[in-house]
Amino acid sequence: MAPEPVRRGTAARRTPPKAAERLRRLLVVVPYLVRHPGTGVSEAAGLFGTSEANLLADLDLLFVSGLPPYGPGDLIDVDIRDGRIWIGMADYFARPLRLTRSEALAIYVRATALAGVPGLKEAPALSSALAKLAEGLGTDALGELPERVEAAAGRSVETLGTLRDAAAAHERLRIHYYAASGAEATERAIDPEEVFFAIGNWYVTAWDHRSGQERLFRADRIRSAVATGERFEPRGLQGAGRPLYTPGRDDVPVTLRLGPDARWVAEYYETVRETELDGGELEIELSAGRLEWLERLLLRLGTNVQVVAPAELKDRVRELAGRTRKRYG
Amino acid sequence: MHPLERLVNLVALLLESRLPLTFEQIRSKLTEGYGHGDLASAKRMFERDKDVLRDIGVPIEVVATDAWEVEQGYAIDKERYYLPEIAFTPEEVSALFVAVRSGGDVSAEDAVRKLLSGAEGGILASFGGSGLAGGPDPHLRQAAEAVAGQQQVRFEYRTSRGERSERQVDAFGLAVRAGHWYLVGSDRDRGEIRSFRLSRISGGMTIRGEGSAPPEGFRAADHVQAGPWGPGEPESEATVAFSADVAWWATGGIPGSEVVSTRPDGWVEIRVPAQPGQSLAPWVLSFGPDAEAVDPPELRAEVIERLEAIVGS
Repeated sequence: MAPEPVRRGTAARRTPPKAAERLRRLLVVVPYLVRHPGTGVSEAAGLFGTSEANLLADLDLLFVSGLPPYGPGDLIDVDIRDGRIWIGMADYFARPLRLTRSEALAIYVRATALAGVPGLKEAPALSSALAKLAEGLGTDALGELPERVEAAAGRSVETLGTLRDAAAAHERLRIHYYAASGAEATERAIDPEEVFFAIGNWYVTAWDHRSGQERLFRADRIRSAVATGERFEPRGLQGAGRPLYTPGRDDVPVTLRLGPDARWVAEYYETVRETELDGGELEIELSAGRLEWLERLLLRLGTNVQVVAPAELKDRVRELAGRTRKRYG
Repeated sequence: MHPLERLVNLVALLLESRLPLTFEQIRSKLTEGYGHGDLASAKRMFERDKDVLRDIGVPIEVVATDAWEVEQGYAIDKERYYLPEIAFTPEEVSALFVAVRSGGDVSAEDAVRKLLSGAEGGILASFGGSGLAGGPDPHLRQAAEAVAGQQQVRFEYRTSRGERSERQVDAFGLAVRAGHWYLVGSDRDRGEIRSFRLSRISGGMTIRGEGSAPPEGFRAADHVQAGPWGPGEPESEATVAFSADVAWWATGGIPGSEVVSTRPDGWVEIRVPAQPGQSLAPWVLSFGPDAEAVDPPELRAEVIERLEAIVGS
């Protein structure tokens, strides 16, 4: 049997895309319902990422479907009673459509990445799920990938479990935090809403009672986190996907010229503007509230960077260098 | 007849049929769906439906139904249609959900849903909720395809120093470090194994055809190891003292570092891995007056030199 070449695009153009989308969902939902008789409508809608109304509309069409000659004994049996669903006469839909290669690969790489994050409570479950996927799907779907994708050791974060539990339970925490922006150790109460991972670090989005503002905290800089026993009402703060720095009203624009060995700064920090200059330098503008973190960054970069503005920053770096030099006698 | 109903009936019909069915046979059974109008327009509708099914991954095949290959029939290969039985625990499926959400990949989320029917109940109760990370990685799917199929790829790459060039790479493996994905492979023009951060690939990644197998004992993560000492495995060590404010986190991400002693003033001396020829000075300086290079003397001298260059600038 030779598969016919796929004519891409024609389908999406001529058939209402909704039917394709609904069919994709049905071929996954129905097997689950066949094998889990009596599943609640709301539970099923939640599991399959759709609304109850959409799910019921799909099931409505399902029970006029079946096999020829489409008599009463040939149609799929859908029974919805007291908010629960039973599906019968659909043995051919008792197993879901298999994963496409692209889907299998996507799941595998994402799970590998997360399984490598130290201190994560899901890590053991992910490792066993990965082993089952590799065994169950085989080289057909995954090719050589399972042997060849790996997560390098990362930084472990001791407070991670406490932070995630508190965010899930809406519980206020008292934390000791090293604030890199001001290069200082602080203590404060926070209402943690979402814990997420970005560019190699864990962050928590929280309401900060010290500043009376929404703040983003790097989890590995939280030295201790203790539950206060108080609950809070979530404010709907954004977590994963948000910018890691939100400019404030008192921010000042900072312009730097980066030499080749300092260009990584443009990849690592949020910039407002980037301009390639003749001679291989990159000029960047960024927005900064406090300057302490920048002073230290500039100390690190030394002669690989030039401060264009503000002029004050250059003096502050010189002063910091002098203060640091004193430690060496 | 609603298009969805017609599609469901078509899948059911082909899944239940032992033999391939010609379009005429399908039309005579699915009269509600394809029986109306003239043959040509019914056939066009069927062709469109077939494309929809293929787009969502239903493996419809076209086979000859007679020895002279005059008649063509349609069939769904059950072996290729059905997901193999994999029994996941609720914890495993929940963890997979968290993982794909962390990649911000909505289509991968739907893919995990296919795995639900093989899991025992109680999934919703242990459902992890939101994802843990933001942002999809461009090129990750393409790179995974290349590694899975052991293929050669071509792309434009920009090094961290800003130099651009065209690369041809036999894809050996993928590694993730500090939140970034790297493609590791044999750089054809340079004749050695290199790692490429996916976020530094500009434009597209083209699959060029068959690549080559990685050497015996290849491990992708070995090629992306890095630390304050630079890339590669550290071979020597240095001692750095940190103030109490920063000592507890300063070396958290550095495997192999260990506390030597705590001074009466709260400063902590920590031994860290280093690499001859790769300077730790920029890293030490990033802590400002909260860190002091203690040993070796060359490191100390370099830190002092860099500081004096800034003071005198």
